[in-house]
Amino acid sequence: MPKSQYVDPAKAFEAGYIHFDDIPVCQYNKTLKEELKIYSKEDMMRIYRDMAIIREFETMLNEVKVKSEYNGVKYNNPGPAHLSIGQEASAVGEAYCLDINDFSFGSHRSHGEILAKGLSSIHKLNDKELYDVMKEFLDGSVLSVVEKHMNAGGNIKELAINFLLYGALAEIFARKTGFNRGLGGSMHAFFIPFGLMPNNAIVGASAPIALGAALYKRSNHKPGIIISNCGDGATGRGPVLEALNFASMDQITKLWGMDGKFSDGGMPILFNVFNNHYGMGGQTRGETMGFDMAARLGAGFNPSQMHAERVNGYDPLAVIDAVTRKKKLLLEGKGPALLDVVTYRVSGHSPSDSSTYRTQEEIDAWKAADPILAFKTKLILGGVATENEFVTLHEQITNRMTEIMKLAINDEISPRMDLNKEPDAISSIMFSNQNVKSMDPSREAEMLMPKEECPRVKEIAGKTRTATDANGKPVSKMKMYNICDGLFEPIIDKFYDDPTLIAYGEDNRDWGGAFGVYKKMTEAVPYHRFFNSPISESAIVGSAVGYAMCGGRAIVELMYADFIGCAGDEIFNQMAKWQAMSAGILKMPIVLRVSVGSKYGAQHSQDWTALCAHIPGLKVVFPATPTDAKGLMTSALDGTDPVVFFESQRIYGIGEEFVKDGVPTGHFAIPMGEPDIKREGKDVTILTIGAVLYRALEAAKILEEKYGVSAEIIDARSVVPFNYEKVIESVKKTGKILIVGDACERNSVMRDMASNITEMCFDYLDGPAVVVGSRNWITPAFELEKSFFPQPEWIIDALHEKIMPLSGHVCTNNFTDIEKVERAKMGL
Amino acid sequence: MATVVIMPRQGQSVESCIITAFNKKVGDMVEKGETLFSYETDKSSFDEPAPESGKLLAIFREEGDDVPCLENVCVIGQDGEDISAFVPKEEETAAVAPAEVPAVAPAAQAATPVAEPTATAVATDIRAISPRARLLAEKTHADLLKAVPTGPNGRIIERDVQRLVDLGLTVSPAAKEGYSVAMEGSGINGKVVLGDLNAPAVAEAPVAAEAASATPVAAYEDVKLPNIRKVIAKSMHDSLANMAQLTLNASFDATKLMAFRASLKAGAEKMGLGNITLNDMVLFAVSRVLLNHKTLNAHYLDDTMRYFNTVNLGVAVDTERGLMVPTVFGAEKMSLNELSKAAKTVITAAQSGTINPDLLKGGTFTVTNLGSLGIESFTPVINPPQTGILGVCNITKRIKEVNGEDVTYPAMGLSLTFDHRALDGAPAAKFLKELCFALENFDLLLTK
Repeated sequence: MPKSQYVDPAKAFEAGYIHFDDIPVCQYNKTLKEELKIYSKEDMMRIYRDMAIIREFETMLNEVKVKSEYNGVKYNNPGPAHLSIGQEASAVGEAYCLDINDFSFGSHRSHGEILAKGLSSIHKLNDKELYDVMKEFLDGSVLSVVEKHMNAGGNIKELAINFLLYGALAEIFARKTGFNRGLGGSMHAFFIPFGLMPNNAIVGASAPIALGAALYKRSNHKPGIIISNCGDGATGRGPVLEALNFASMDQITKLWGMDGKFSDGGMPILFNVFNNHYGMGGQTRGETMGFDMAARLGAGFNPSQMHAERVNGYDPLAVIDAVTRKKKLLLEGKGPALLDVVTYRVSGHSPSDSSTYRTQEEIDAWKAADPILAFKTKLILGGVATENEFVTLHEQITNRMTEIMKLAINDEISPRMDLNKEPDAISSIMFSNQNVKSMDPSREAEMLMPKEECPRVKEIAGKTRTATDANGKPVSKMKMYNICDGLFEPIIDKFYDDPTLIAYGEDNRDWGGAFGVYKKMTEAVPYHRFFNSPISESAIVGSAVGYAMCGGRAIVELMYADFIGCAGDEIFNQMAKWQAMSAGILKMPIVLRVSVGSKYGAQHSQDWTALCAHIPGLKVVFPATPTDAKGLMTSALDGTDPVVFFESQRIYGIGEEFVKDGVPTGHFAIPMGEPDIKREGKDVTILTIGAVLYRALEAAKILEEKYGVSAEIIDARSVVPFNYEKVIESVKKTGKILIVGDACERNSVMRDMASNITEMCFDYLDGPAVVVGSRNWITPAFELEKSFFPQPEWIIDALHEKIMPLSGHVCTNNFTDIEKVERAKMGL
Repeated sequence: MATVVIMPRQGQSVESCIITAFNKKVGDMVEKGETLFSYETDKSSFDEPAPESGKLLAIFREEGDDVPCLENVCVIGQDGEDISAFVPKEEETAAVAPAEVPAVAPAAQAATPVAEPTATAVATDIRAISPRARLLAEKTHADLLKAVPTGPNGRIIERDVQRLVDLGLTVSPAAKEGYSVAMEGSGINGKVVLGDLNAPAVAEAPVAAEAASATPVAAYEDVKLPNIRKVIAKSMHDSLANMAQLTLNASFDATKLMAFRASLKAGAEKMGLGNITLNDMVLFAVSRVLLNHKTLNAHYLDDTMRYFNTVNLGVAVDTERGLMVPTVFGAEKMSLNELSKAAKTVITAAQSGTINPDLLKGGTFTVTNLGSLGIESFTPVINPPQTGILGVCNITKRIKEVNGEDVTYPAMGLSLTFDHRALDGAPAAKFLKELCFALENFDLLLTK
C-alpha cells in the first residue's frame, strides 16, 4: 500500500477486456542442419552422452531395486528410488544452457537433473577450478575415493564425472562419502559448487525455496538465474502457486529501485514444469487439474504471462532452444518465466509402482518415442556420428557405472556414518551455532540514509529505557522504550552491518508491521531489502529458506503465530531440517517472527511454541521484556540457525521493569537458552513462558502478602535450547514448581518442562511439578479470556490444590484430580 | 438359606485380621467344623471352622487381605442360592483418608471455604510423602509416624517434617526402617534402586579383597516376615530404643525351694495339686513381693507413672510363631496352685496359637525363663510400657562358707532388667534382694 500508487475509483471501474497473447505449444521446428550451425559434433555427442549416463545411472538403480543386482554386482538398497527414465532429454536440455552461477532446484525425482546440471558444470569449469572444487569439498573425502580407486587417465573432467556419479550414488546409498554424508539421500542430493541446489522430497516445496534463491540474486545483485524444477503434479500445490505469484509481484519492477538505485528488474527465475503427465498416478491433464496444459498457468500471474511456453521435452534441442530464450529474458530483467516441458516417465513412480493407472499400450508408445534412441537416430541419419561410436560410448558408460557402484557399496571404502563410534555425528550438525556479524563482509550495506538519520533511531534516542523514571513514577507510554523498540534496535543495526539482511512479511513496510515494530523504518531501508510480501505464508518462509541457502540472512514475519499452520511445511520440514540434511554444509540464518495475539479469538490468539519446539532443528525463543527482546533478537540475528521468535501482542508496549539501568544501548546479546530469574524467592518456583510473566508476578505479590509465601519467578525466555541448571537450582531450594504459560495446557512446552524437571529434581520435589496453562478450548472472545488464559489466582489455586495447601485459601478454580480426569475423558 | 461366615472379633482390641490361607475354594463341599480359612491378628493366629455343612458359594476376600472384624468373608449354602445380600460393599470398606484433605468443591460450590490445612490425624501408616519431605526426614531423623500430613491427599510435605524437627520428634538413625543412607546403590550417581534393596547382602571386604577368585554368592531364601514377627521386632526394637534399660544379676540358695518342689511333686496327686514347677514358685514369689515395690509394678507413660494395685503377671512363652507374653491377671490373690494352673492355661493357649488377644495385654510385670535352656544370666528386654522384667536362670552349684567350711549349694540366678527412667538402681536392687530372700525362705512366704 505505497502512497505513491493512487488507487483511482474511476479507473477501477473502467470497462474493457483483459487480453491474452498466444502461448506457444511445441513450436520448435528447427532442422538438424540448422542446429549444426550452433552446435558442434562434440556438443551433440556430449548431449547424447549426458542423456545416456543418466539413463544408465537410473537403470542401475532400478535393477538394484527390482533384482538386487546390476551387471552381476549384488546389492540391496532399502531406500527410495524415484526414477525419471524417459525424462533425460528434458533434464539435459535444460542443464545445457546453465552456467555455474545458475542455480537449479528440484524435486524427489531429480537424479537426472543432478547429473545433467553436474555434467554441464563439469564441462563449463576449467580443470583447475574443477579440481579445486572437488579438493575442497568435505576436505577432499569424496574426491579421494575416486582418485584412489578409479583410473581417469589423468583427465580432470573424467575424474570429475567419476566424482559426480560416485558422490551422488554414495549419497543415495546413505554412505558417509556421499555429497551430504548420506544424510540427504536419494530425494535430497545436491552439490552447491556445481550450482546444484537442494532437491526436495516434499512435492512442490522447492518452488518457494527457489524463489528465495532468486530473491537472493535480485536483492544482492548477483549474476545468474534460478531454475525451479517441479513435476506437473506439483502445480496443484499452494506453495508452488504462491511462489509463482510472489515472483511475479508488481513491486519488483514498479517499486524496487523507485529511489533510482538498486534496480535490476524482474525476478530471475524460471519455473520449469517437467510435465510427465502424472502426479504419482494422478493424471494432471484430464483428471486432477483443469489447465489442459501447464503452460496456461503463466497467463494467470502477470500481464507478460510469465513468457510461458510448452516445449517438446523429448527433444533435447527443443528444450535447449526454449531455455536459452527464457534465460535471456531473465537476464534482461523480464522475469519470471514458465516452461511446460512435455515428457514422460516410462519407469514407475517408484519400483513398487505397478502402473495400474496407465496401459501397457501407452507405455510402449512412449518407449517407441524414446528421446535417447531418437536423438541417436537423428545424429546417425544426419551423418554426425556412426553406430560404432555409440557402441563404444555405451560400453564406457556401463563399465564406469559398474565401477562406481562397486565403490559405493563397498563398506570399507564407502562406510556409513557410525553412530556408535561417533554418537555426536548428527547432534553436532543439528545447529551450526555460529556467530556471524555479516554474511558478506566484502560489501557495504545498501541503505537510504546514515543510521543516525533514521527517524525511528532518532525517536528511540529520546526515549526513557526504563518503565519508571528516577523518582519511581511510570514513564508515559509515548516516552517509554518498549518491546517494539527492543526488537527494532538490533534489526536496524543488522541492516547496516549485514548487506545480505532482508526483511519482509505481510504489511511490513509502510504499515511498519502490524504491531509497529518496523515503524518509520521505510525511510531508511530500500525496497529490495524490506518489502511487503503477498499474503503467502508458505512463500514467505520458503523463500527465506532459499535465501539462506544461497548465503543470505533473512528476517521474515508471519504477523500472527496462528499462521504457522499456513507455512507448516516450510517451517517444519525446510527451515528446520536443511542444516542437518546437508551434513552441515548449509547454514540457515533465518529469524521467523511470529506474534501471539489476544482479543482476536480462536484463530488469532494461540501460543504455538510447542509445535515449533517439537521439531528438531529449530530454535525457539519467547522474550517478555524489552531487554530480553533486544538481547535475544541480537543473538538470533548474529547466529546462523533458524529461530522462531515468539512475541506477544499483550506486551509490545511494556517498558523495562527489571533492569535497573534500563535496556542496554549498543550491541547487546543474551545467549539463547538461558532462563532469567525475574524475582527471587525461597518457597516456590514459578517458571513462566512468555507474557504470562506479568500475571505470575501478580500471583507472587498475593502469595507474599496474603500467605507469607515467597515465590521465585524464572522467565524461561527461550524454549529451544533451554538450560535447566538455573531451574534445577531453584527447585532444589524451594522444592516446589509451577510452570505457567498461555499455550493450551495439553502437550505444551510447559508439560515437557514439567516432565523434565520431575525427572531431574525428583528427590528435591515437595510436590509434583504443576502446569498452569490455558484451557484446551478455542480461545473465546476478549471479554471471556479470563476463563481461558491463566490468571494470577489460577497459579495460587494450583499451588494450594496440588503442592502446598495455603492456610485460609479459598479456591476459585478447580484443579482437583477428579476434575482433571473428567476433563481428560471429554478430551478437554 | 445360605450362611455367611464373618471375620470373628478376637478380643475387644482387635479391629481387623489378616487372612493367611483359605483351605477351601469356591465350589468345594465343606463339612461343619472343617477349617475354612486361617487368619491372624498381630499376636495370634486362628483357624475358622465351617459353621454349617454345604457348598462354599463365594469368597469375598483374598489371602493376605486385612479384613475388618465382623465383615463377611465367605458364604456356605446350596447351589442356586442368592448370595447377593452378602457381597461386601466396597465403598463402605474403603479406608478413610488419614487427614482432612483440603479440596476444591465442585464448580457449583467453588467458593466454599476450604478446611484449614491443620489436620490433627497422625499418620499411623505413611502412605504418601513427597520425595523432598522424605529426604529431609532422613537428614533430620524426624519420626515420620508422628507427622501430621498437610499436603494434598494426605501427603506429608516438607513443612510437616520441619514441624516434627521443630518439636524434637525424631528417632535414632539406627531405629529407622529401610536401607541405610550410606548404602551405595547401583543406580545413576549411586542412587539406591529397588533392586539394591532386594539384593542379597554380599559378604563385606574380606571376600571382595580376594580379587581374582570368583565371589561366592550366598545361597539364601527370602521369607516374608509373618505379622507376629513384625510385631515382636517392632516392640523389642522400640523397647530398646526408647528406654533406659539395665540389668541386675543376683542368685539365691535354692536348697529349700528345691526340697519343697520335691515334696510337692510327691504329694501332688494326693492333695489334688497340679504340677507346680520352680517357675510357678518364682511367679508366686514375684506376685507377693512386687506389691512392696510399686515402681516395678507400673507403666511408664512419658510424663506419668501408672502404679497398679494388682499384679498382672506377664509370662513370656516361646511358641512356634515366636515370643508371646500372655497375662495372668490378679496373680497376687492366687494361691500357688491357682497361679500355677492359671499360668499353664495361658501358656498352652499361647503355644497353640488360639489365645484370646485380650490376654496378651495388660501385664504389669513380666517373668521370663531361660533357665531350663541352661542360661546362667541374661538381659531380658522389657515389655513396654512396663518398667521391669525378671529373667529366671538355671541352677548351678556354688560354694559358700558355712561355719568355716566350704559347702556347695544349688544357686538359682535371677536377672532383673528395669527402666532407669522409672526407678533407680537401689530400689531395683532392693526388690531383687527381697525376692531372693522370699525364695530362699519359700516356706515362710507361703505361711504369710
